[in-house]
Amino acid sequence: MRDFFTVFKFELMGFLKKKAFIISTVIICLALIIGLSIPTIRDTFFASDEKGEGNSSEQQQEQSNNVYGYVNKNNSITNVEILKENFFIGQLNEVDSIETLEEKINSGEFEAGYIVEGPTEYKYVVKNNEMSDMSQMPFEEALKKTFRVSELNERGIEYSQVEDLIYPNVQSETKVLGKDSVSNYLYTYILVFGLYFMIILYGQLIATSVASEKSNRTMEVLVTSTKTRNLIFGKVLGGALAGVIQFGLILLTATVTYRLNAEAWNNKLDFVFDIPSEVILNFAAFGILGYLFYAFIYGALGALVSRTEDVSSSATPITLLFIGVFFVSMMGMQNTEGILLKIASFIPFSSFMSMFVRISMGSVSTLEIIISLGILLISTILVGIFAAMIYRMGTLMYGNRVKLKDAIKLLKN
Amino acid sequence: MKLEVKNLYKSFTNTEVLHGISFSVESGRALGLLGRNGAGKTTTIRIIMNLFEANKGEVLLDGNKFIRQNHHIGYLPEERGLYPKKKVLEQLIYLGQLRGLSSKNSKENALYWLNRLGVEEYKDKKLETLSKGNQQKVQLAETFLTNPDIVILDEPFSGLDPVNSQILKDIINEMIKENKLLIFSSHQMGYVEEFCEEIALINKGNIVLTGNLKDIKKEYGKNRLTISSDELSLDDLKSIIQKDLSQIARVIEMRKDFLIIELLGNNSKNDFLRSIVEKDIDIDQFSTYEPKLEDIFVEKVGEK
Repeated sequence: MRDFFTVFKFELMGFLKKKAFIISTVIICLALIIGLSIPTIRDTFFASDEKGEGNSSEQQQEQSNNVYGYVNKNNSITNVEILKENFFIGQLNEVDSIETLEEKINSGEFEAGYIVEGPTEYKYVVKNNEMSDMSQMPFEEALKKTFRVSELNERGIEYSQVEDLIYPNVQSETKVLGKDSVSNYLYTYILVFGLYFMIILYGQLIATSVASEKSNRTMEVLVTSTKTRNLIFGKVLGGALAGVIQFGLILLTATVTYRLNAEAWNNKLDFVFDIPSEVILNFAAFGILGYLFYAFIYGALGALVSRTEDVSSSATPITLLFIGVFFVSMMGMQNTEGILLKIASFIPFSSFMSMFVRISMGSVSTLEIIISLGILLISTILVGIFAAMIYRMGTLMYGNRVKLKDAIKLLKN
Repeated sequence: MKLEVKNLYKSFTNTEVLHGISFSVESGRALGLLGRNGAGKTTTIRIIMNLFEANKGEVLLDGNKFIRQNHHIGYLPEERGLYPKKKVLEQLIYLGQLRGLSSKNSKENALYWLNRLGVEEYKDKKLETLSKGNQQKVQLAETFLTNPDIVILDEPFSGLDPVNSQILKDIINEMIKENKLLIFSSHQMGYVEEFCEEIALINKGNIVLTGNLKDIKKEYGKNRLTISSDELSLDDLKSIIQKDLSQIARVIEMRKDFLIIELLGNNSKNDFLRSIVEKDIDIDQFSTYEPKLEDIFVEKVGEK
């Protein structure tokens, strides 16, 4: 046990002291601090008296600077005021003739123009018809409203009365009895993606670390100094803790920074950061076990190659499997009752992610959680023992990469 | 302490590489494990170190099964290597701790050995920044870190320059005086002759010769003489012996300055000498032949 802690400490410190670890953690944390503080920075340094309102009136101002023209042929529209009032994207100016309209559009004075040929009929005139041209719809809406108002008035009906009937103001509120997938979606997504990223990153790092001990021939010194079990467990758990520390630091930085800036955000991101403690606990349990499960596999794979450059090819099958697991879980977020997700939530290769998605976004019984966690725990221990055996066997096998299949055969012998 | 290797057999993927290796060595002595490249020296050592399991045979220490973990062993593997990107002292302390030393003792010992080997000034440098020679010294410091009672060195002199070789020689001599048990493998016979009282010569997985080096040399020198003449060339001397003295002796080898001859039948040294004197040959040098280990090695293993 003493040796295990010696290896564990050495490996952990090895990771923590790595420049790449320090720099990446600092950069991510700084980015989060700056990103989450932007509203506060904006409020402090660029505060205008009107704050939010200032912005929208500026936008309106900008929009109303755009001038559009129209020709009212045969006085098709009687109440042009209503048309102008309901045209929201700019100023609408009347011109006498089609020629004048086209001239002003060509000279750039008008953004575009409309030739009104009847109460519900017009021609759109524009210099260059662009994909993103959005000037037709607002005019059409304004024209429709003008038509409705005048037709109703003719029949002696007040337009506003009809408007209230056709477009009544509906008020609604949502009361969620189960899980609110809408607000859970984002934090589940972030946590699952974070876990995915950590396993891929640290799995490769652990595999490379094992392989480098073989390639720089430290291995023989190590395996004659202590039991291989201490070496692989110390290495994997040390690397795992380094990952947890990094992930924890990033989460903590994000949470604390957001809390400090919540007011400036108008609490808009509360739904991301208000993660229920039950979800956090399950994430920790499943996440850490799943992480260890894969870390052991990566460690064993690292022991099967002799050169660090062979690590990625040795790890490819397990990486592909892992990416598959990630996609099943991600797709499961759309439908937590899907049969694939349910099956995946009991297989140790995927349960840590799939079960977490179900817990976070769907409804799972406690028994199911316990069974899944139990299977994962036992599998992780077995994989650990298996990894130690592979590691022991792989330590002095130099030369070509040994396939996992062959390694298992050799173990049997 | 007496370490006995008894009848070791080892196969790798159905190819037997050791076919019954046996030898023994006691404290205060050094055993030289000799053999050509690929003879099975490293495999034997790895079995002693419990890195490989033998298919058959056993390793005993004072009559009991030798369990590597229960002893401090200074092991210098053939495949040298430490962490290139870690600081020298840091990794030595770590390895000392793994071998059961406290952190304090480990540091003390590491500093002692770094100092002893003249590389203390690099203790806070990353290993990869050191010269090859200095890296080897760090590796030796790592080997002796626990002040072990049993020292197993696999090709310890390979790659060392003469100055570093001398440092290692001094340490080995000191260890022998301190009654440590020492095994070292080599194909450099000079070093083995210098330290080892016992040798075990392995060829193609078999022990072809084992025992006390002096006795072996005596046995090999028996009935053999060296001779040279002032007035005759070695070729002439050789043809005279082959022509006229073929009943008494035969020429085994012609060296640069003398011939090595072997006495035939019951003829003694004096019989041979008398015959030479009768021929009126002016003798420059005449003595009993003391073979070098290398000669024995070449004769046993067959090729140079």
